[in-house]
Amino acid sequence: MQNQPIKTISEEELILRLRSQDASAVSVLYDMYSPTLFGVVLQIVKEDETAEDVLQEAFVKIWSSFQSYDSSKGRLFTWMINVCRNLAIDKIRSKQYRVSQKTREIPTAPRAVYGTSSFKPEHIGLREITERLSPEQKQIIDLMYFEGLTQSEISEEFDIPLGTVKTRARSAIKTLGKLFKGRD
Amino acid sequence: MTNEDYITSGILELYAAGALSEEERLEVERMAEASPEVQTALEEACLVMEQYAASHAVQPATSLKARLMDQIRAQTAVTTETPLAATQPVRPLYPDTTQEGTPYKWMFAASIALFLISGFMSIRFYSNWQNAEAKLEQAIAMEQTMAQNYQTASYRLDQQSQILQVLRNSDMRSIRLQGVEAHPDANMMVYWNAAEQQVYVDAVQLPAPPTGMQYQLWALLDGNPIDAGMIRMENGNAVAMQPMKGIGAAQAFAVTLEPSGGSASPNLEQLYVMGEVKS
Repeated sequence: MQNQPIKTISEEELILRLRSQDASAVSVLYDMYSPTLFGVVLQIVKEDETAEDVLQEAFVKIWSSFQSYDSSKGRLFTWMINVCRNLAIDKIRSKQYRVSQKTREIPTAPRAVYGTSSFKPEHIGLREITERLSPEQKQIIDLMYFEGLTQSEISEEFDIPLGTVKTRARSAIKTLGKLFKGRD
Repeated sequence: MTNEDYITSGILELYAAGALSEEERLEVERMAEASPEVQTALEEACLVMEQYAASHAVQPATSLKARLMDQIRAQTAVTTETPLAATQPVRPLYPDTTQEGTPYKWMFAASIALFLISGFMSIRFYSNWQNAEAKLEQAIAMEQTMAQNYQTASYRLDQQSQILQVLRNSDMRSIRLQGVEAHPDANMMVYWNAAEQQVYVDAVQLPAPPTGMQYQLWALLDGNPIDAGMIRMENGNAVAMQPMKGIGAAQAFAVTLEPSGGSASPNLEQLYVMGEVKS
């Protein structure tokens, strides 16, 4: 995989090509972002096959509803991650999925299983992240990002004051920011 | 709340981590649009979450890309067809659509025509059928009448040929019985074959008998009356050429009115007709 140089182009150019419905842009988009997007989806649905279906659906949605992307409201990557997250969260909340999960009776594996610290050297490994973040910080971020819970839902379910949820999320992201900046 | 307070409240991080409701999210976006400081802080938080996401990266199966691109291409083929056609100049498009529409239009028109024709034919055939049914009934009734007539006719023919047979016999003698003084209009014929002892009465002209009374035929031999049977009447008329009791010898025949069933000896007061056998 390392020997195959992934063709990267600027976000602006990608956006232009996607706006003009250039299907080849999807190929580039996929090469550039699919590992991250797949990782996120996998964290949420916890199952390879389902994650692949969701990722495929997500790319089709990115392609077909690209007109709804507003570059002034945020980066393309952020938007794409959120499309994937929303689809994946919808999936795990669908009744059908919950039933199939129940019948499989697979115990929920720890999240770390899905990430490989050595996969992308340019990114911070999960081991480093878990060393830096407190368990509470990591929990709150993962509940939000990978379980799709809102601040008020977390506050209610885990009996944490809303203010604490906010400060914990902020401190977690601050810590991560420092960690990532240190690597850049 | 100052921008600084807003930034440090943690709401931007919640936004980046996706923990806000729809309204809260729109509010953050409004704030970011209004303030470059908020905008920058928000972008930073989002970038961190992007990196956090990237730290979980997993390479998906290589087959997935091919599947995805197939679907994209298939969808593109479908969705681009309409815009392409729409961007074509009007002139080539016009005959295209008419050519495409024509067979369907014709088929539609033809199907309507067929429907109307079949409806019309149905009504026509139904009324024809009804007419035919009525005519058939008439024909059947006529045929029955004809059959009855034929039966009657053949019955009469049988009777007539029987009569003819009786009359043709050279031994058959015909005796005319004339009305007596009291009944001058009465008369009848008796046909008698002495050798075979056959007696028939025919052409009976007698008044209708009162109820409980019947005409009785007598053969007279040497002044003695011999019962020759009762004359059967139907609707006031005697049955034509009806056979009577066998008589071997007689000089004359006579008819009297007797109580039903007949009498042993004739009531001469009620003598109606009489005729002598001519030798």
